[in-house]
Amino acid sequence: MSEMKKIKNLKEFSTSADRFEGANLLCPGCAHSIIVREVLNATNDDLILSASTGCLEVCTAVYPYTSWDASWIHIGFENGSTAVAGAESMYKALKNKGRLKQPERNPKFVSFAGDGASYDIGFQWISGCMERGHNIMHVVLDNEVYANTGGQRSSSTPIGSSATTSPAGRVSYGEKKNKKDMVSIMAAHGIPYSAQVAPNKWKDMVKKIQHGFSVDGPVFINAVSPCTTEWKFDPKDTMYITDLSTDSLVFPLYEIIDGHELNITYRPKNVVPVEEYLAAQGRFKHLFKDEYKYLIKEWQERVDSNWAYLQRREESRV
Amino acid sequence: MAKKGWDEFEIGAMLRTFDGKIDDIAGTQQEDRAYSENSSYTASVADWRLIKPIFNKDYCIDCQFCWIYCPDVSIIARDKKLIGVDMDHCKGCGICVEVCPTNPKSLLMFPEQADEETEIASWPKKDEEEA
Repeated sequence: MSEMKKIKNLKEFSTSADRFEGANLLCPGCAHSIIVREVLNATNDDLILSASTGCLEVCTAVYPYTSWDASWIHIGFENGSTAVAGAESMYKALKNKGRLKQPERNPKFVSFAGDGASYDIGFQWISGCMERGHNIMHVVLDNEVYANTGGQRSSSTPIGSSATTSPAGRVSYGEKKNKKDMVSIMAAHGIPYSAQVAPNKWKDMVKKIQHGFSVDGPVFINAVSPCTTEWKFDPKDTMYITDLSTDSLVFPLYEIIDGHELNITYRPKNVVPVEEYLAAQGRFKHLFKDEYKYLIKEWQERVDSNWAYLQRREESRV
Repeated sequence: MAKKGWDEFEIGAMLRTFDGKIDDIAGTQQEDRAYSENSSYTASVADWRLIKPIFNKDYCIDCQFCWIYCPDVSIIARDKKLIGVDMDHCKGCGICVEVCPTNPKSLLMFPEQADEETEIASWPKKDEEEA
């Protein structure tokens, strides 16, 4: 069971038996469950999962129902990663003592958390897990806002986005701080693997998840998860928005191995202007007023310079 | 099951997804699993839906884009073939229709009360201009 599941194409992938159930209470068109399914289906091994407080947790575990077909735990907002790390430590200890009933099974430890629970509230705890070197994977479902509680800004919210605690109006254009570069922060812990993924590039995503499962040590995955409610677009457009986010290079897809070796894993053939990405979402609609148009230009410059930075890092291998 | 109110919630409650012992969940398809009453598989969100997808297998090329991008595990694929839509769990978001690459699309959204057989009989023809 411990050998890696072979997934050559989507037809082969579709024979997977889902371990995440429908009739969860996520909004129609939510990208969270697409990401979760792609992660869980990437392996046939047993899974030990946790979810920090957030949309995913409150929607998949509404008493008396659970949507998870694997061991799953929820404790607090901040410590989903630590819960899984504790389970992993116990597993290791029992294995060393020879007290496991089925030692040949090779479970995978995954914690899911939103951007609020990772970038802000659970930051210290995740950092601790990465530093201690547990053999776990932390997956961030990055929808750039506290969507569960009504759309407050988080430190992942990008400049110009209108959130309930940083609303756009007559005197403000919304969020004023730039997004935290979490993948680099986590890579700076020297962890074996950290990567940014998007659900529309399922093959890239499955490859990264499987690589993450195969390495020994903590793995950090940042997944872009468009939120129909807070990004304000039609539920059917989830994959379209995700395509725009990767093709406009707002969410470049790359991986960082051992904390320094950066590889860009997806280069769009036709790079879409950032303006198109912003125009598709209601949270940026005030940027198209005359007085805020300069922000769109700044957005484009910021995205371009970030892309140039990634390419320089890829070339110089540092 | 008699549902418990929120104030009767046991602290540290543990819900079991399955009745009895299951050894290989990843190798067992959903219809072969013994779900317990606590699994949301046994629940339904069909009443969320205003529009529903109808699947016309005549045009399907089994690319499985709808399967991978379905957020609600509602596209049923077995043996690399798409066999239908799980109407208990579909919320009618319409992603499957958007990602369908065939011309005409093999999945289309219709109002909830639409009749499947009549709609399949009057399925739109191939759109030459788009191709």
